[in-house]
Amino acid sequence: MTEFLTDRRTLLGGAAALAGLSALPKLALAQGAPIRIGTLTPLTGSGGPYGPMMVKAVKAVVDEVNAAGGVLGRKVELVSEDDQTNPEAGVRAARKLIDVDKVSAILGTWASSVTTAVAPLCWESKTFLCTTSGADSITALPHQGYLIRTQPTTTLQGRKFGEFAIAQGAKRVFFLSPQTPFAKSQFDNITEAVKKAGGETASLIYDDKKPAYRTEIDEVLRFKPDAIVFGGYTPDTAVMLKDLYRADFKGLKIAFGYSVNQKLIESVPAEVVDKTFMISPSPAEGSKAYEKLVKLVGVASPDPYTTQIYDHINLVLMAIAIAGDASGTAIKDNIRKISQAPGGAKIDSALDGLKAIAAKQAVDYDGASGPCDFTEIGDISDSKFRYEQVQSGKIALVKIA
Amino acid sequence: MTLLLQALINGLMTGALIAVPAIGFSAIFAVLRYPNFAIASYATIGAFAAWWANAVAGLPVVPALAIAFAVTGVVGVVAEETSLKRLRDNGALIVAIASIALNLVLENIIRFIFGNDMKGYDLPLARDLRFGELRIGPQQLQSLALSVAIMAAMFLFLRYTRFGKAMRAVADNPDLARLKGIDPARIAIVTVFLGAGLSGVGGVLIGLDTSIDPLTGYRVLLSVFAAAVLGGLGSIPGAVVGALALGIAEELALIAVPATYRTAVGFVAILIMLTFRPRGILGERAT
Repeated sequence: MTEFLTDRRTLLGGAAALAGLSALPKLALAQGAPIRIGTLTPLTGSGGPYGPMMVKAVKAVVDEVNAAGGVLGRKVELVSEDDQTNPEAGVRAARKLIDVDKVSAILGTWASSVTTAVAPLCWESKTFLCTTSGADSITALPHQGYLIRTQPTTTLQGRKFGEFAIAQGAKRVFFLSPQTPFAKSQFDNITEAVKKAGGETASLIYDDKKPAYRTEIDEVLRFKPDAIVFGGYTPDTAVMLKDLYRADFKGLKIAFGYSVNQKLIESVPAEVVDKTFMISPSPAEGSKAYEKLVKLVGVASPDPYTTQIYDHINLVLMAIAIAGDASGTAIKDNIRKISQAPGGAKIDSALDGLKAIAAKQAVDYDGASGPCDFTEIGDISDSKFRYEQVQSGKIALVKIA
Repeated sequence: MTLLLQALINGLMTGALIAVPAIGFSAIFAVLRYPNFAIASYATIGAFAAWWANAVAGLPVVPALAIAFAVTGVVGVVAEETSLKRLRDNGALIVAIASIALNLVLENIIRFIFGNDMKGYDLPLARDLRFGELRIGPQQLQSLALSVAIMAAMFLFLRYTRFGKAMRAVADNPDLARLKGIDPARIAIVTVFLGAGLSGVGGVLIGLDTSIDPLTGYRVLLSVFAAAVLGGLGSIPGAVVGALALGIAEELALIAVPATYRTAVGFVAILIMLTFRPRGILGERAT
């Protein structure tokens, strides 16, 4: 055991050494320093079923890129945090990623409420943010370009829900949702689509922390709906479905693919959820990037969010490569150069993209979630939707359109 | 009119569910003089213990409830003896804060063991019985019967057994009880066992109606706390009255205000109560 004694001489010496270090040019320190990328996905809370797989996809890409020599000759380091599907926890975790880990980009915020809370931290610190949240309001934030999303907006989704209900012969559509940043816009767009066809709509915003919704269900049934659209997440939607079954509702049920998922189907009696339709933004199944992702994560059909975050990491790494710099600002200024360069080579993974960029080729990335082309404010410009139905305990594909 | 009646019935059902953990919360408060917020995780642990007994081991509801009670009681005692007991001398606030921390720890242990996904009990779901315009679920009736039975058992225990009497003695006047030869440490263990066990059973009753996940107990914590405050902290009949009042208030409020504000009803109830009658409906001591 040596005793640590601090006398004035060593202290002064240490201080001088520190001062000397900080006086060195910054470049010398940064050379060969790893590029840090953060993921902020829901590992717990209502998004809990998705977060771990999302992280796995990002890690697989990072490992692959590092094995091939990294980006700009630097190793890529991944820091993963849990947003707990909760804005408050999300902000805490984002602060750590930004201030302590000094990441260049944060990928994969899932709940719109979390993204809305985290986005200002990102643009203020010039950290690039890629999200899978759908609320319209997100890209309307003054993010100065530091944000892109791969999830289609609620405007688009709401319209699809309304049109689908009408196509199924519904005339009176009820929208049942907890308070989410996209509930209002979702309902407005459903209403627009349904009214156009001469139908009626009504909505109820409920508190998603309750053990039973019997009184809410009474209110829903007083409207005599022939279709109900669920805007909630898995736990509250499960309770709603049960209470509707008890109340003998026999009409059409339409929900988001992320809320009525295999987990929900397994946790409730089969007849409760049977014949429910689900709509979700569709990954680009059959695309090269999608096939690569399937191999990487070893899951036959990765969920939409995993395909989206896979695209986030690919886009960010290629943007860093083409910029020759790993700062959030560099990613912001270059991301569209590799996502939608006119006439660029069609690329489906960062690995190929990095080679093409090194060979000075123009690059147009087409991802696992879709073509990944972004508008001025960071919205995705085109997306397909997947229509599925629960049929005796299994999720069956109806159509992709 | 039907609207009112239906809301009243729904409120009674919800209230009876909340009453069981509220009794546990109040009993712990009465004897140990601190609000134990870890009951949220006790409720979750009970829900998962019963889920295991029912969905994995294939037992019917009542044995599953008994298992949930025993498991949660033991967990509660172990948690109390290892972590909260030492802090009791430092005042109620310190223990209350520690119990919030304990709650987080236990909740995440559940996550480690059972994962984060929703689980449902392996029970058939019945359609509601209809009486004219009114709907009542057989499952709700069963839960109501169970919680009434549990409450009755609790009352009998407190009134007629030695431990029950000793618990009431300690709650009334710890110093006098000690002089009379009652060992407060033993009573504390019994109380925590009962309180945690009841929270666990409450968790199961809530889970029967819905589905369970690691946040099951946390979601009802506010309602349970509000019910206990409303009825008078430390009063067991008060907890029951408070829970029923809160359940009915929450459901009736839905007729007048948007459903989003349902939880706010609980807060408002606490606020009004503490302003005008700080000891609650049936509370005796203003602590």
